Amino acid sequence: MKVLDHLPWYRRPGVTIFLFLAPALFFFALYVLAPIPVSFYYSLFRWDGIGERAFIGFQNWKELAQDPIFWRALKNNVTLVVVSLLFQLPMGIALALLLTSRFRWTKLLKTIYVLPYLMSAVAIGMLWRYIYEPTFGLLNMFLEAIGRFSWIQDWLGDPKVVLYSVINAINWQFTPFYMLLFMAALAGIPDELYEAAKIDGASAWNMFWTITLPLLWPTIINAATLSLVGSLKYFDLIHVLSGGGPNHASELMATYMYKRSFQHFRMGYGSTIAVALFTIGFVLSMVFLRTTRRREYEGGGKG
Amino acid sequence: MLKKATICLFVISLLLGMSFGVYAQDINLTLWHIHTNVGAPQYTIQDAIRRFEADYPNVTIEEVQIINDEYKTKLMIAMGANDEPDIFMSWGGGPLETYINAGKVWDMTDALVEEGLYDNFLPVAMDLGSVDGRVYGVPITNMVAALVFYRTDIFENLNLDIPTTYAELLEVMEVLNSNNITPFALANSNKWTGSMYFMYLVDRIGGPDAFYKAMMRTDGGSFAAEAFIKAGEHLQELVRNNAFPRGFQSMDEDLAQSRNLLYTDRAAMYLMGSWAWGTIKAENEPLLEKLDFFVFPGIDGGLGDPSNLVGTPGDNYFSIAEKSEHKDYAVKFLGYLSDAIAEEMLIANGHIPPFGKDIGSKIDDPMMKSLYQAVSGSDAVQLWYDQSLPPELAQVHLDTTQALFGLEMTPEEAAQTMEQAAKRYHGEN
Repeated sequence: MKVLDHLPWYRRPGVTIFLFLAPALFFFALYVLAPIPVSFYYSLFRWDGIGERAFIGFQNWKELAQDPIFWRALKNNVTLVVVSLLFQLPMGIALALLLTSRFRWTKLLKTIYVLPYLMSAVAIGMLWRYIYEPTFGLLNMFLEAIGRFSWIQDWLGDPKVVLYSVINAINWQFTPFYMLLFMAALAGIPDELYEAAKIDGASAWNMFWTITLPLLWPTIINAATLSLVGSLKYFDLIHVLSGGGPNHASELMATYMYKRSFQHFRMGYGSTIAVALFTIGFVLSMVFLRTTRRREYEGGGKG
Repeated sequence: MLKKATICLFVISLLLGMSFGVYAQDINLTLWHIHTNVGAPQYTIQDAIRRFEADYPNVTIEEVQIINDEYKTKLMIAMGANDEPDIFMSWGGGPLETYINAGKVWDMTDALVEEGLYDNFLPVAMDLGSVDGRVYGVPITNMVAALVFYRTDIFENLNLDIPTTYAELLEVMEVLNSNNITPFALANSNKWTGSMYFMYLVDRIGGPDAFYKAMMRTDGGSFAAEAFIKAGEHLQELVRNNAFPRGFQSMDEDLAQSRNLLYTDRAAMYLMGSWAWGTIKAENEPLLEKLDFFVFPGIDGGLGDPSNLVGTPGDNYFSIAEKSEHKDYAVKFLGYLSDAIAEEMLIANGHIPPFGKDIGSKIDDPMMKSLYQAVSGSDAVQLWYDQSLPPELAQVHLDTTQALFGLEMTPEEAAQTMEQAAKRYHGEN
């Protein structure tokens, strides 16, 4: 430390680190941090986006608390979180195991399976729109061809079905992402562990539960966090596929925020939803990280 | 993503344009409109740009096409960011007034008079683009009324007559349904498509006054009045009697999902703005021989005259931004959009220009002639609700109407929701 004292102020470690971080921090603060208090500020106004702003106190917040559409959107978000966690992650692990095992065609399959993740959400949205088209769509035409008339659904128009139709497309889009994540994690598990287990006479099933899964656990936690946050603020595919409709049946908080702000031109109320969305997402992911991190340490202690 | 990409492209082209502007003293005008599909307006706009640029080689007009449903959003955001295009279109009425009140739109009255353009536009169409006699937007594309287009061959085969009353309409629907033909081709994810049925039902039940009083908040007018509730009941009766195709709530008008049913003999009728005739001409011209139209049927005991129409006298209104630096050229360009060549082009492609003299005699096509007669001969033309109302209320109207179609709200609930929103908007609570 003595040596460091002779350095000019701008070359001291803390200062240097700060200077290197400063450009990134500046943009982070400008585009990520600053909009949060600013949005809260706007939530206290009635504003159409281009005209005069009128201060109305907490009226928007009162309206939000009693807004059935917002609660419906939140419920849909929770459904999306649960389905994403229960489908995309296990499916990602299964595909990763399949593709890291040694059987033919894995390279080709890998490329095919990753394709959905490489496509833009708009392209996927249009694709699934045509698949779900009620009269000429691939799905209903297929069901008609095989004679399952009772299975034919109004996939995007029936309020009872639409959310699941959309979530199905979302699963299709994101499963490859988790597959890639788990493939990387699987590659990091040393072969020696499996060899030793084999010598001890462990079955493939045993090896999965005692070696693969515990060693994948940190990756699973990370993937689950990504999935949780991603599902809470999800927007694009829903916007293209169903627009949150019909009559808000597939509305998410983010699509509802967009509607109120940019279609109804109620920027104040839109900001209110945005702040609520941020708060809910922040709290949930904090709780999730806290609870899972503890378990991670416990697991580490046992090993 | 697409939006981001277009914004990026737009910004880049803007920057490029600006830098070129500095070097070559070139003038760049941006023009935003919604005509992403082929058809009369797209042809006419692009042709006018070509002719204008040939006459003014130092001016470049940058045409940006934005899909209909996203257009209002993009325009409003651009205005909020002080980044609006030099020339943009709107549908006049309530939304245009919002832009005017925010000081975004240039009062072009004097410039129009100076350029000798003022008298070229139809006075009745001019109103929607004007406030207090000052012109902020000129009607460019079409005189429009929502009409019921129908397949004459299907009607003939099934011995059906054109329904003139709502009761007759129900009978026609029953015959069509029993022959596995969907009565109406409707794609209602866009919401304004379904709104046409609601507007006609309100007019037929309560007359034009019902909506006018509710909108202007005069004479005890209310969106919860009987006409609106009854219209909702009739609408849901149509839904329950299978007037609309399977999945219509999720189908997209912009993707032609409605017209596809008409083209493939799966649907017999199509309630749409009269621009549909031009659209069908561009998409599927042979079908025009099997196509005719009638006016939405009346309702027994209703106050509305069954010849009343819902529509717009100008459709697209073109305005010039207050902050534009080349308003002089922009006005000249509006002249190209509304000159004799544009007029001819619109007519040739199935549109009725809301400008020019003696339009009626210039139309040869018999079908277009009758369209023109229907549009220009009606006593009362109700402007689309979503263009008359301020944007916030327009959206509530569209949402509640879609909910009515989905049988997810009772007519009373829908009417109350709309009335509550109107009260909140006007500060009556």
